[in-house]
Amino acid sequence: MSLYHFLVLSAILFSIGVYGVLTRRNVLGILMSIELMFNAANLNLVAFNHYLHPGNAWGQGFVLFVIALAAAEAVVGLSLVLAIYRNIQSVYTENMNILHG
Amino acid sequence: MNSVSSIVFYVFAALAVGSALVVVTSRNVFHGALALTVSLSVIGGLFALIGADFLAASQILVYVGGIMIIMLFVIMLSQQPLDALQRQTNSQWLWGAIFAAAVASALIARFGEAYKTVISSSGMVPTSAVIGRLLLGDMVAPFEAVSLVLLSALVGAVIFGSSAKTGLPK
Repeated sequence: MSLYHFLVLSAILFSIGVYGVLTRRNVLGILMSIELMFNAANLNLVAFNHYLHPGNAWGQGFVLFVIALAAAEAVVGLSLVLAIYRNIQSVYTENMNILHG
Repeated sequence: MNSVSSIVFYVFAALAVGSALVVVTSRNVFHGALALTVSLSVIGGLFALIGADFLAASQILVYVGGIMIIMLFVIMLSQQPLDALQRQTNSQWLWGAIFAAAVASALIARFGEAYKTVISSSGMVPTSAVIGRLLLGDMVAPFEAVSLVLLSALVGAVIFGSSAKTGLPK
């Protein structure tokens, strides 16, 4: 079990998240895929911290900030989704076209 | 010891990738959210496996206990009965899959040979004290900035979530 294993795992998880963001019609599905991408990046940071710089915890501190900002993003994003749903009764991206002109 | 942690790694990695695939492919977005809960918990287990015990705990507390609960609430508030019959991917899914496979293979090929020989040199030590000193020492400026960001996110969520008119046309 080397650093390579963790890098491959997080690359796979990140690309699954990319696929979800690109192909989901549902806004909530897109938000969940973004959470997957955040977690792939976090896994990378923690693995580099553990394998290359085992003495300190800067990578883990970064991951704490990423988790806090992901919580803020999820809360604001989900309340925006609810506000949009109250107005157009839909969570699908192709219906959110009121800035269409 | 090393073989045991390798087995744990492979089991957790398979669980994480499998449930992540369910997240992006399942037709029912509620099932996708439950699979995302599994995936986040397993990634917390991987954090614990490489010695980040404090992060494993905060992953479970913040992601599984906080974000996923809010997400499940919003899914239950915004689902319509017909959603189960609707296609959940757009017409570009093939190009999306090709692009995602290209991203993954580029990353893996790039990271390939250089890091294969890097193995762990440190044992398990508790990290809470180190992270605490880091957060209130060298990282104190971003720490305070994050508290401001969380406060503004709270205010923003209250404003956007209130049932007063938001100004969008019907």
